Amino acid sequence: MAAAILARRLGHRFGGIRVIESPEIGIIGVGEATIPAIRLFNQALGIDENEFLRQTQGTIKLGIEFKDWSTVGESYFHPFGAHGTSLDQVSLLQEWLACRASGETGGFDELSLNTVAARLGRVFAYSPSDESLAAVFAHAFHFDASLYAQYLRGYAQTRGVLRLERKVIDVELREDGGIAALKLDDGQRVEADLFIDCSGFRGLLIEGALKTGYEDWTHWLPCDRAAAVPCQSGGELTPYTRSTARAAGWQWRIPLQHRIGNGYVYCSRFISDDEATATLLAHLDGPPRAEPRLLRFTTGRRKKLWNKNCIALGLAAGFLEPLESTSIHLIQKGLTHLLNLFPDRGCDPRLADEFNRVAINEYERIRDFIILHYKATTRQDAPLWRHCSGMEIPDTLAYKIRQFRNSGRVVKYDHDLFAAPNWIAVFMGQGILPQRHDPLVDQRDLAQMHAHLKHIRSVIRESAEAAPRHDAYLLQNARAVAP
Amino acid sequence: MIAVNGSVEVIVERVQRIAIVGGGTTGWLAAATLGRVLSPSCYRILVIDSANYERGGFSEVALPSFHRLNQLLGINEHDLLQKTRGTFRLGARFANWGAPGERYFHAFGSLGAKLEAVPFHHYWLKLRRLGERFALEDYSTAAVAAKQSRFAPPVPDRSSVLSLYSYGYHFQAASLASYLRQYAQAHGVTRNDRRVVEVQLRGEDGFIDALLMEDGTRISADLYIDCTGVCAMLARQALDMGYQDWSPWLPCDRFVSVPCASSVDPAPYSESSAEATGWRRRVPLQHCTDDGFAYSSRHISDDEATGTLLAGLSGEALVEPSLMRLTRSCPTRFWNKNCIALTGGNPEPLEHTGLHLVQTGIARLVTLFPVSRNSPPDIEEYNRLTGMEHERIRDFLILRYKCTQRADSPFWESCRDMQVPETLRRKIELFHRCGRVAMFEEEHFGEDSWLAVLLGQNIDPMDYDPLADVLDVSEVKVALAQMRTMIKEGVDTLPTHARYLQQHCRATPGGSCT
Repeated sequence: MAAAILARRLGHRFGGIRVIESPEIGIIGVGEATIPAIRLFNQALGIDENEFLRQTQGTIKLGIEFKDWSTVGESYFHPFGAHGTSLDQVSLLQEWLACRASGETGGFDELSLNTVAARLGRVFAYSPSDESLAAVFAHAFHFDASLYAQYLRGYAQTRGVLRLERKVIDVELREDGGIAALKLDDGQRVEADLFIDCSGFRGLLIEGALKTGYEDWTHWLPCDRAAAVPCQSGGELTPYTRSTARAAGWQWRIPLQHRIGNGYVYCSRFISDDEATATLLAHLDGPPRAEPRLLRFTTGRRKKLWNKNCIALGLAAGFLEPLESTSIHLIQKGLTHLLNLFPDRGCDPRLADEFNRVAINEYERIRDFIILHYKATTRQDAPLWRHCSGMEIPDTLAYKIRQFRNSGRVVKYDHDLFAAPNWIAVFMGQGILPQRHDPLVDQRDLAQMHAHLKHIRSVIRESAEAAPRHDAYLLQNARAVAP
Repeated sequence: MIAVNGSVEVIVERVQRIAIVGGGTTGWLAAATLGRVLSPSCYRILVIDSANYERGGFSEVALPSFHRLNQLLGINEHDLLQKTRGTFRLGARFANWGAPGERYFHAFGSLGAKLEAVPFHHYWLKLRRLGERFALEDYSTAAVAAKQSRFAPPVPDRSSVLSLYSYGYHFQAASLASYLRQYAQAHGVTRNDRRVVEVQLRGEDGFIDALLMEDGTRISADLYIDCTGVCAMLARQALDMGYQDWSPWLPCDRFVSVPCASSVDPAPYSESSAEATGWRRRVPLQHCTDDGFAYSSRHISDDEATGTLLAGLSGEALVEPSLMRLTRSCPTRFWNKNCIALTGGNPEPLEHTGLHLVQTGIARLVTLFPVSRNSPPDIEEYNRLTGMEHERIRDFLILRYKCTQRADSPFWESCRDMQVPETLRRKIELFHRCGRVAMFEEEHFGEDSWLAVLLGQNIDPMDYDPLADVLDVSEVKVALAQMRTMIKEGVDTLPTHARYLQQHCRATPGGSCT
């Protein structure tokens, strides 16, 4: 991603971009789920959406279904886009709360176009026909990360990026502690002004060479391993990611055109690797298509994401479990900040400070959002859930929960990727309901409010039912070739 | 009682009665807003509007955010300006701030357009290095229009340069207050013109229990809004809001002002010129101007300051000059118990943010409207947001005093030497090093406003964005020349400000300006 966007934006005016990619280090990606902002990245590269879906075995994603998170047997949907027909989410929620207090029985989720469409297995790849819904609609994709990487590699190489299929065996530092050059396994020495560390968990440059340090978040997010395996698809192609809470973590299910990606993210304190793998294999839609792979991680972030003349992206920068599909997005944001604060050769530390201030804030807001899923649970059936429901949480999140519980208000912090509609969906889904509604809503006519909600529900239902089925849509517009 | 989630919660001391203490623009703006959003069948709003609270100045200045109020209240701006001797405001002109003899505009709207996703000002910086001398404001529709004293409201078509700006207003303060009072009274707000002689607190928790009036009556409410200005009768005298001292950063502590007759066409912008011990400002109204001088009493006496003001008036003084102390502290709690302080007094008028802060304060109260008298989560959120908002505006003001090349007086020397808040220090350093603007939480002024002032005060970035080098210099020159031409041609089609006022919002000439 970095090479592609830098090639696109820098053109030929800079000294050149080289990607050093060791064939021995595999790509972690197993099947990636994304959020709607991925579309902006593809647009910035000038990539056609359907072409992209064809190349990456991609599918459409309208949100995430969370099963068994708040209570075993319950599920809720976190949709992209907004609820209702306008963007005034808080007010719609207030209206719904007031109606609910007077006997309304419809769920808040019935006011979400994406939720209703997803449950019907239908998709809007562009905009729904009803204009009042255009502003609330959003979608993202599921795709095969290895295929996407291949695709972007081709994109970057045709734009002058040089790829060295080598391994870094040594990092040479400058006197000021910055990176001077990399020594490769063929004896070659590669100098550069700026180094982007995309080496994954181990952070070859940011940690290995620069010893930046890591802030550990496992006291809030105790899962530290994942077992991943693709399986054959069977049955319907769902337009959403599914996350099912299990005794010692949660399992993802990401539907692609040619297979389904699955993984069990778990806490090794509470379950053995063998048991976790067995649990994963017992919960697949079809026969596994490979041996399960085991990943280890420590949730947290580097103390600095930009240190001296090195910028860490992706897993080299930090790790947040893929519960809300934010991994690709964090890479994208890192690149956006880099392009906004692009340094000259001197790599002024003030640029790095500003990059770190903004990027770290972003990481922490997403961290809070993910912690919310673990904290707000009534599950007491396993040690992990007992631990999480009782744990201390960051003040920023505690404050947000308190405010929502008080009045249904969503506190907005700077650099919070997730907006009010997202927080509302997860708060409510996890069982945090406001104790009261906005008193000013009581001034409105109750019958009119009931009628308004009924109207929204019917507009949404009609639009959703009129949309094409997910598989039919892909077949017609973006069918991938069999692998 | 409201029932939620099957359970029944009993609301203790439900808010139904609201007392706004102090009239004036602040009090009536609050009353009009609450009168509009609170239904008289559920809420009672009373304004205690006795004449003895310290008043603000002769004029009030609104930022573009005032449009939100117009929209909420359904105010027709032509009607409003006609009745308040009002004029339009495309921004402010600052003279002698960076260095004596220099001028710049802080106009409302965008500065140039991005090219290849790189912000405009980096190209401007680059061309300046290469010797081009076009002023930054040549790329601002609002500034170009202001310079030529032209005005018309922006057009909705986003492809036109005539859509790329916004505007505020200048009003005669007393007329604005009475306009808002009429609006409020028409929306069920009642008025009491007696004086408060005592604020009675509840023994057990220190909440305000009642106001004892001069005629011996007691007024009791659930929520009190303090709009008494500098005296902060409820907020400061009765409750302890806690105050942070901002005087080390805001050197002007007094403001002397006087309305003057004016026979020239009003400019669509206010003016602020720095002088040796402070700065002079001019607010144009229809048929008159409000001239003032803000200064530091450490460096000049009140008499001398008044002399300085009178020596440079734009026309004949209509009354005796009036003197006010500027408030240089900020509450740590804007809402405490059952009292909200809507104004901390007379804030530093440099960017005319006083009215704006009243407006956002009351809008925030509407958003966080409490069910009961004691509502800690609402109070906590109100104070968190309001505090950040004040600090960001504070930084924007300090910037003018700190970043000056003036060394012609002890006043400016001490300004240059002061230590500024950390947020501002970071902002200045980052900009100085590489031309980027760091934006913090709850900024009111956007990046283009910061740029206009940072560059206007002559902070010259050592570097511009290296990505501005991706485009050929010749392409950049062509693109920037196009922007200037489009703006110039667009502005040429606008009527003069005077003509627009004459056609749509003409106030009765003559009569009493005061």
